[in-house]
Amino acid sequence: MTAFVVRRLLLAIPTVLGVTILTFALLHLAPGGPVLALAGERATPAQIAQITHELGLDKPWPQQYGAWLAALAHGDLGYSYVRQRPVLTLIAERLPQTVLLMGCALIVSIACAVPLGVYQAYRRNQGFDRAASVFVFIAWSMPTFWFGTLLIAFFAVNLKWLPVGGLQTLDTLAFDWPSRIAHLVLPAATLAIVSLAAWSRYIRGSMIEQLREDYTRTAVAKGLPMRTVLFRHTLRNALIPFITLLGGTVPALFGGAVITEQIFAYPGMGQLFWQSAVDRDYSTLLGMTLITAVLVIAGNLLADALYAVVDPRVQVS
Amino acid sequence: MSEATVAFAAEEAFTPNTVRRRPSGITALSLGWLMITVAACALVPFVLHVDAYATNVTHAYDPPGAVHWLGTDGLGRDEFMRLLIGGRITLVVGAVAALVAMLIGTVYGALCGYYGGWLDTALMRIVDVLLSVPTLFLLLFLAAMFHGNVVALMLVIGATSWLQPARLVRGELLTLKERVYVEAARAVGAGDRRIIFMHLVPNAAGTVITTTTFMVASAMLAETALSYLGIGVRAPTPSWGNLLSSAQSDLFAQAYWLILPPGFAILGTVCALNFLGDWLREHEARSFGDA
Repeated sequence: MTAFVVRRLLLAIPTVLGVTILTFALLHLAPGGPVLALAGERATPAQIAQITHELGLDKPWPQQYGAWLAALAHGDLGYSYVRQRPVLTLIAERLPQTVLLMGCALIVSIACAVPLGVYQAYRRNQGFDRAASVFVFIAWSMPTFWFGTLLIAFFAVNLKWLPVGGLQTLDTLAFDWPSRIAHLVLPAATLAIVSLAAWSRYIRGSMIEQLREDYTRTAVAKGLPMRTVLFRHTLRNALIPFITLLGGTVPALFGGAVITEQIFAYPGMGQLFWQSAVDRDYSTLLGMTLITAVLVIAGNLLADALYAVVDPRVQVS
Repeated sequence: MSEATVAFAAEEAFTPNTVRRRPSGITALSLGWLMITVAACALVPFVLHVDAYATNVTHAYDPPGAVHWLGTDGLGRDEFMRLLIGGRITLVVGAVAALVAMLIGTVYGALCGYYGGWLDTALMRIVDVLLSVPTLFLLLFLAAMFHGNVVALMLVIGATSWLQPARLVRGELLTLKERVYVEAARAVGAGDRRIIFMHLVPNAAGTVITTTTFMVASAMLAETALSYLGIGVRAPTPSWGNLLSSAQSDLFAQAYWLILPPGFAILGTVCALNFLGDWLREHEARSFGDA
């Protein structure tokens, strides 16, 4: 097990380096850049040249990459010239908000997908299963921001039950739990719809497989109530491969967060990424891509390791 | 739950899953929706002489009526015509982007699967790197770079969504290349290129066709997401994405005719494509699989 984790960690290093090289190259191919954003539209070519030189942006990009990497080794993710703040501080402010949002979305979608998938598998090919399949396909095909807009239209504008957007009410600067939770409901529901469909279908399929196994037949034959068989026996086995799926969902959640945070004016990583792309704030984009890639790889590794822990039949090598 | 239902349900649970899971009704419905939508977007603008770009501020936010079938938007433009013209753009963007993705993905996956060895390892490491970055990040960045050009938009969406098809085609070719007909082809002197593209890829057609269907659906969703973020199809050219993206501001004008029709157009079309893809996937094993 330790050998497996160590090997995977070693393999992760070239992947992360690859991500940074790719991002660095892409950013340097792009026209414009932070200099134009910093100097303003009325800057003379001489001023632009001077700023470019001061920032070291006139050096060839492999040399700049080397400097960036050396700074990274000292825990320095660079400095956002557009926002006039260190990139690490910017990310540290935003990341917890996004992780909170993604966590809530995960809970919502697991809480919906598991019972739905189990009941669909139990009653498969019957009315409920068919209706639920259609519903799940509709959820899958929904443009995220349209769904978010409809939620706002109904729950925030018409019923006025929940706030339209933001992190919490602006009445107080202090941390306000009830208000924070109220502000999380609609964004979490919007983000959850992305994974709900895939997961409930996966659990349905995996449950159907488990229901055909001999141990299920034995459990039913010895007279256990169907609820016990479904939730104590089959679901436990059906959930094992699901762990891998959970680990692989991190990129989709970050992608979904860009849209969701934009709809609900939620100050998280997605919003920061979007604003940085518009402002051509390259150092922030680079730092964010790096942190996201590390989280994605960590998610996959954690899922694979957990898979082996939960299921003793799996041999990691 | 009575004992009888439990016993019945248990028995049901053990019967092999050979019966068709869904009636073919929904597949037929999906095909019908797609044909009608494509035909309407392609043909109706020739018959109906309404300018999709003509603004008229005195008729802003007109509700649906005899003159404007689906009402007008905030600049007084005819929503029905904009929906049709926008449909043309979105459908073409979806189809071309999917084809680009499938082309890259099929060639890439075929090379990995056929040659294996160090080439496969190296190429799949690149895929791993790309998979570590959320697709939307790449998409957003590239789209912001080439903003305003519909052709570039299609290429950007295509260029960021070939990873999944590449992995699927690779997996398919890993097993297909062991077949006897490959050996036979090699025996009569066929080269690698001929074996890959004339024998192996056509035999993976089931996977390729199914994946293409899903790809068109996801490319259309990508168009709407980018248009919502303001870097998709540039105004005043309509697309389902940018018609929808103004929905949030139309919300406060209570203009439901601007929020619902483009939403249902895209939802219906994407849903139809997904249903069709799912049906194809279920049937591909029987119709294409063991050739």
